[in-house]
Amino acid sequence: MHGDETSVAAPGPAAAAKPMKTGSVRFYLTNEFGLVVLIVLFACMFGLLTNGRFFSAFNQFTLGRVAAVNIMVGFAMMVVIVTGGLNLAVGAMGVCSAMTFGFLVEWAGLPWPVAALAGIALGVALGWINGFVIVRSGLHSFIITLASMSIFFGVMIYLTKAQSFRAIPPGFSAFGSMRLFSSVSPLLVVAVVMAALLVFLYRYTVTGREMLAAGARPEAAELSGVRVGRVFILCHMLSGALAAVTALLVVARTGAAIPSMAGQQLGQDWLLPAFLGPVLGGTLLSGGRVSVIGTMLGAVLVTMLTNGLLLLQIGEFWVQACLGALLLIAVLIDLARRSYLAHRRMV
Amino acid sequence: MAETVDLVFQARGVSKFFPGVKALEGVSITLTKGSIHALLGENGAGKSTLIKLITGVFRPDEGEFLVDGTPVSFSSTREAIATGIGVVHQERNLIPRFSVGENIMLERLSARMFKPIDYGAINAEARRWLDVLGLDLDPATPVSQLSVAKMQLVEIAKALSLRSRVLLLDEPTASLTTHETVALFELLKKLRDEGVSMLFVSHKLEEIQEICDQVTVLRDGKNACDSRPMAGLGRQDLVRLMIGRSEQIPDWEPRDHTGSPAVLQLEGVSTPLGHRDIDLTVRRGEIVGLYGLVGAGRTELAKSIMGKHPVTGGTIRLEGKPVLVGSVGEAIHTHRLGYVSEDRKQEGLILLHSVLDNAGITIWRKLARFGGFLTDRTIRVAAEPHIRKLEVRTPSFGQLVGNLSGGNQQKISVAKWLAAGVKLLIVDEPSVGIDIKTKAYLHELLRDLSDQGTAILLITSDMPEMIALADRIVVMNDYRLAGGLHNTRDYAAMSEGIMNLIHKAEAA
Amino acid sequence: MSRMVQTDWFGPLAVTLLAIVIIGAFNPSFLSPLNIQVLLLAITVNMLIAYAQMIIVAIGQMNLAVGAIGGLAAISFTGMMQVWGLSPPVAALLAALIGLGAGIVNGCFIAITGISAFVITLATLSVFKGINLAITRAQPFYGVPQSVKDFGNTTFLGPLPWLVIPAAVVFVLMWYLLNRLPLGRFILAVGGNTHAAELSGISVRRTVIAAHAISGLLAALAGVALVARLEIGQPTIGDDWLILSFAAPVIGGAVLAGGHVSTVATLLGVIIVAIITQALVLFHIDPFLVQVVLGLLILWAVGINRWREVRVARSLKRI
Repeated sequence: MHGDETSVAAPGPAAAAKPMKTGSVRFYLTNEFGLVVLIVLFACMFGLLTNGRFFSAFNQFTLGRVAAVNIMVGFAMMVVIVTGGLNLAVGAMGVCSAMTFGFLVEWAGLPWPVAALAGIALGVALGWINGFVIVRSGLHSFIITLASMSIFFGVMIYLTKAQSFRAIPPGFSAFGSMRLFSSVSPLLVVAVVMAALLVFLYRYTVTGREMLAAGARPEAAELSGVRVGRVFILCHMLSGALAAVTALLVVARTGAAIPSMAGQQLGQDWLLPAFLGPVLGGTLLSGGRVSVIGTMLGAVLVTMLTNGLLLLQIGEFWVQACLGALLLIAVLIDLARRSYLAHRRMV
Repeated sequence: MAETVDLVFQARGVSKFFPGVKALEGVSITLTKGSIHALLGENGAGKSTLIKLITGVFRPDEGEFLVDGTPVSFSSTREAIATGIGVVHQERNLIPRFSVGENIMLERLSARMFKPIDYGAINAEARRWLDVLGLDLDPATPVSQLSVAKMQLVEIAKALSLRSRVLLLDEPTASLTTHETVALFELLKKLRDEGVSMLFVSHKLEEIQEICDQVTVLRDGKNACDSRPMAGLGRQDLVRLMIGRSEQIPDWEPRDHTGSPAVLQLEGVSTPLGHRDIDLTVRRGEIVGLYGLVGAGRTELAKSIMGKHPVTGGTIRLEGKPVLVGSVGEAIHTHRLGYVSEDRKQEGLILLHSVLDNAGITIWRKLARFGGFLTDRTIRVAAEPHIRKLEVRTPSFGQLVGNLSGGNQQKISVAKWLAAGVKLLIVDEPSVGIDIKTKAYLHELLRDLSDQGTAILLITSDMPEMIALADRIVVMNDYRLAGGLHNTRDYAAMSEGIMNLIHKAEAA
Repeated sequence: MSRMVQTDWFGPLAVTLLAIVIIGAFNPSFLSPLNIQVLLLAITVNMLIAYAQMIIVAIGQMNLAVGAIGGLAAISFTGMMQVWGLSPPVAALLAALIGLGAGIVNGCFIAITGISAFVITLATLSVFKGINLAITRAQPFYGVPQSVKDFGNTTFLGPLPWLVIPAAVVFVLMWYLLNRLPLGRFILAVGGNTHAAELSGISVRRTVIAAHAISGLLAALAGVALVARLEIGQPTIGDDWLILSFAAPVIGGAVLAGGHVSTVATLLGVIIVAIITQALVLFHIDPFLVQVVLGLLILWAVGINRWREVRVARSLKRI
């Protein structure tokens, strides 16, 4: 019948979360597949241009370590993007957790597993603060996390007087320097395990489903029995935990807890990689849809590009400009892809 | 036959096709000078498509439009306005922080980006148009400080100031109180007497009969009647034109529920939203209709029962026991209440998600195993029977709900409550934007549901729907109860009784 | 009286006066000519930064690239004088044009693709910053001509720095733009209700691009002014502008969703931030705490703005 012609105006999602026939055109147009193709392509290209140095065990190892951090910071942002919001404070929260860790192992002499847990707990607490203020005030997460980024970082700098903690227990920093099978870093393993847990969360748990529902349309979710406020706070707490883990990975990699690990200014440096992963991976900024694998692949692609460019001795100063350009290109391509799909009603 | 010189606006043989759907076919309409012309049609009859064509959102595939006898075409809403089609939409289209004067004159500013604005001149000019409407308003007042009714009048002033030949009013009384509607109608009559030509789109037949002098009815994408004078057309005639047959009140057996246990009891309930002394009882297997005009507070009451708004006075009893519903989650999971929202696209469904996700959302908690573990398959097994029972037409359960037709969307928004096995289902305006077949289907469904024991509270401003379904009708006005009636199924008597209760309350 | 209280500038003005009185009472050197000069210098640069963001808040968007554009303009300004030997006015003009161009790039991407301003300016911020780093290789340009250094640091009429003059001109122009010129009204209209603005014949696309162009221009001016004040072409100029660029407009009652900003109140917001920052230094409070204070100020300001909006919505007056 006539129904509503206008009802087809669904915001074309980046990729259907449901499995689909491998051979269909839709599959080949998904984000994840596209990213895999790009990764393979660039890997081959870099391999050729660097005469195989790209594939050396050491380079793969280095790549893995950096990728692990990019993946994790992408996850930290992704879990908040799902709610339709932003968490500008990922860097600040991560640094706070890392400095707490450093303090506890160096000054309080705690064993590093305990200190790590404490760091993550702090991340969760900071995330709770963000979530609580956002939910209670009804204000946009942009401005709240902009303010909290400043507050968290400021308090941290004040307490630590901008001093670093360099006496990291060898047991912990071993994670950063250890090599499994000569090219895989345990840090990367951590990231992959986190990815698996997140996939499990969104696919197979009630909490994950509620997060997606609340992020897609809070009013409808609420009237269907989802405690939207509580769920949003959980998302921010999760973001805090993931930011903390990210920071701990950096500490493991560098062997020290440095206040400027996420940049001199409030942890801003983490913002670009934090968004690149999810955006490349097809997680909608409007919320309600997530692609854990996509975020991971996106982060891997970014890391690979940076690594390859550095290997090719394209000055490190150009890398940042290139990454910015990459984000631009990525969103443009995604836009084109989605409008193509919407046009063909394939979604 | 109107003089050609009096023909302000015409649509001749207009058609519009969408992939697989003939939205409009050979539709015509003729507006003369100094008239209020009603545009009627059931949801799905093509009314909204025609409006979109007239206002320039779409272009017609066939046929033409004429303004003052000259063929015109426009490919954007802007061009339509420039051609003389003035529109006052349902939603307000004003800049909230700007003044009345600036809003009215906003068009004229857009000529030059860098020419300084003379606010004195703007306000003086705006004042002229406000005077035409008899509005005593300071043009410097920010629009955000006005009531919705006044904002609407400002938009009418704006449309007139743009020398519109036709003024299209889309559901103008949707958010007005009775007093404001009266004031608006006085104004429209005055404009008509001064020669303005208006196209009045509404689904409220009482209003159409009160104010319009001509009518065009659409049905199934075609003209059921074309620009007929209203004289001599009664309500039943209009209805017959709209649905092709007389209103059928289904011949259901009257049911007596006096012995049944009460599922929901509201005793002297008040809320911070303004409700006072609400007494309401819904028994097992009963359908209680809650009637009221826009702004009566029915949806707000429903949401208070569902735990979204607090209840500050009185008692709510569920199956006899007093309860305090602390949250919507509690209402749904602990007390087995359900609510089909009137706004299905924003509140009833998650358009971005799949059929399965939407249908199962109310039972995720129930189905989850230890630690919150839950698979798609478990949900499917639980929800599938209900989706199938409602005969939802969807290619797969993974289909995004946003891609379904309005009727199927509504079915999903009901299915999720069936899956949850609710004891009390509150249904809010179930047939808005639904085609006739689905509407009839939903009515049957609600009747069956209540026969099986579910208590139903039906909120609707559709009188025929109310009288068809309800066993008892409660009337609400201005956040208070105006009275209740037992449904005798005699349409004329019931509608009169209901309107009396409303008018009595209004007069009080 | 109550109408005055409801304006955007009343609160900040009251706070400003109160702060001056209290701080002046506790530490008289606060009101010394030297201190006033320092304050004014900070205010002139920060005002430009705040306006660069304010104009984008007006259309309901955000510009994360304000700092990056300012930094790029700053090093370009210095570099052009040092390496190409251009005269300061010419170099300043070219730097301003760079800012204008950068803003137009932002605006075009946002207006044409429809992608959120957040993502676009996040991307362009990295590109501009990257170009900055590539040109400077993270090393400052030291070759700032004496005339520029003087302009940035000398005064006339007692404690009034020369920099105040261009800043005052910008202030007046901005006020005029947003209150008397159609372009400014279009910017506010698009921010207030984009759909309605479009229906009234306003080209949303052109308005967005114009707003971003102005933003880039103001950011560039801030960068140039900062070079004059610091007497060095630092590549890190702009890195710490993000919080400040939002704090002042927000304290000045700006609505982040767009459609309502106040030039005067934003300036007062800049003044408040400058005063508080200075006070922290005067009272020997750890300068690291400035960040915390800024963050709290933002929270407080948005909280109040929100409370005001809710109150207005609740008591929707029926005239």
